[in-house]
Amino acid sequence: MVMASLCIAALTGLFHSGIGVGWRNHLVAWRLIACCIGAVGVIFLGLAYHRLAGTVASIARQLSGDPAGLMDLQAIERAAQAVQTRLREGQEALRTLETELTDLRIRSQLADRQKQHTEAIIYSLRDAVVVVDEADRLLMANAAAARLFGFDPEQARHRPLAESINPGHEDFVQLIQSSRQSATEATRREMQFARPEGPHTFDTIVSCVFERNQVSGVVAVLHDITREKEVSQMKNDFVSHVSHELKTPLASITAYSEMLADGEADDEQTRKEFYEIIQTQAQRLNRLIEDILNVSRIESGLIKVQKEPVSLTILIEQQMQMIRGFAEEKKITVVGQNPIVYDQVLADKDMISQVIVNLLSNAVKYTPPGGTVRIKTEVNETEEVVRVTVTDTGVGIPADEVAHVFDKFYRVRANNKQASGTGLGLNLVKQIVEKVHDGRVFVTSEVGVGSTFGFELPLAAAELAGTAR
Amino acid sequence: MTGKKVLIADDEIHIIHVVAIKLRNNGYEVIAANNGAEAYELACSEHPDIVVTDYQMPFVTGIELIEKLRKNEATMHIPTILLTARSFAITQEMQDSLGVQECLSKPFSPKELLKTIEDILYQRAVAVKN
Repeated sequence: MVMASLCIAALTGLFHSGIGVGWRNHLVAWRLIACCIGAVGVIFLGLAYHRLAGTVASIARQLSGDPAGLMDLQAIERAAQAVQTRLREGQEALRTLETELTDLRIRSQLADRQKQHTEAIIYSLRDAVVVVDEADRLLMANAAAARLFGFDPEQARHRPLAESINPGHEDFVQLIQSSRQSATEATRREMQFARPEGPHTFDTIVSCVFERNQVSGVVAVLHDITREKEVSQMKNDFVSHVSHELKTPLASITAYSEMLADGEADDEQTRKEFYEIIQTQAQRLNRLIEDILNVSRIESGLIKVQKEPVSLTILIEQQMQMIRGFAEEKKITVVGQNPIVYDQVLADKDMISQVIVNLLSNAVKYTPPGGTVRIKTEVNETEEVVRVTVTDTGVGIPADEVAHVFDKFYRVRANNKQASGTGLGLNLVKQIVEKVHDGRVFVTSEVGVGSTFGFELPLAAAELAGTAR
Repeated sequence: MTGKKVLIADDEIHIIHVVAIKLRNNGYEVIAANNGAEAYELACSEHPDIVVTDYQMPFVTGIELIEKLRKNEATMHIPTILLTARSFAITQEMQDSLGVQECLSKPFSPKELLKTIEDILYQRAVAVKN
């Protein structure tokens, strides 16, 4: 009876071992099986004792039935041998049982360790994992799930998921319920949940666990794809912006070429004007393609860098000349600095020129007519760096977007209508300054007041002496 | 067909320039704006026979300009042509709901633009006659 009960208990443990806590029930089952084996051993020893007692009793009976004291020595010898055999069998059985018990103990410890290991893995996953039973009661949830759904996994254990989960996640509970009801092996859905920092999108996979063709539980894994979605959106925007930016100069080139071919330019002066426009638009197209390629080359480390001592003041002066026409078109004043300071840096002249022109053209682009753009350099002898700042009286950047302005393809949403662009210019500035020249970029901005973009580069002397920060 | 007034809205000065030369060479009067807000004001004050607008422009986009034109009784019947590098973003449904007569892609042919303007104005003239 005892043995049967123990076996049933063990099998029940195994039967219920499924999802989530399966390993725990397995452990219980193994322990119960060990008890069963122990019980079998006890019964076996009892039987051996019973048989041994019978043998001794038989000898006693033979001795008592021999009043003459004439003992059948052969019978006694046989009886003694039988006793010895029984004892050996008993000892053998005990040794076997001991070995099996030791084996079970080791297995149990291994299962314990495996359980802890598995638990540690599941708990450390960045993806949220939720396991419920056949009645949608929570069996297990890792730390990421607890953070996402706002519950304490220990307190919520064995309670219906719908009661434990924070409001706003009803869709998730419904998905679990519908998956269980329809007994779908795996369902995949994008779900959006509100988080303090904004809505997050999760790639949610819900799988049913089956036992004897019945759904015994549901496992859900939620992978945060917010960043991937943002990157994908940025790439789409980039393709859209780039195609627009490429097509714009191309449109001028095509239209003016057609006008020339059709004889729509009446005189030599008009034809010359058309040729010049075609030339400048082709150059614009080339610059854009160069920007795209440069970002790509710097990122892949394939760009050829030619560093030499250059004066930033002189480079700034050259780039200011380039930007003046564009600024005058928009009635914007570009102000440089008067005193020439010793601001030599060890830099690639073309690349730093591009940094300066990108910062200046951005400032002009986002400054309303009548505004001012100022550029200046300062030398910080203590830190052995040159600091260049471009300050405008432009539209400014909202505080929550300032941190992203140097990101590739990023364009300030609020200022999208101010000017077109690819979202590459400032990223190129950052790559050139930080990745190629070991400097740093910075920005401060206030909406409606203006922005200051700048960069710092190590002084040439410091860099040559190897004392730069 | 001459003497008709065309309003061109584009933030690219060279596009305005080349279209204006093409149209003026063919007898049209041309007025121009380099953003949607300015174009709307011109449309209200100058009553052009047709509007050719870019899509992406500062402050007020081409789409917003057309929407504003459609809401104003004085400008709602002015035919419009979208001349854009983003023609892929303009669906037929969008075009219909905005009441845009034609959508031309940049790069474009000034000859084709001229023909489109002529066709639209001709159809408009025939419709008015009937």
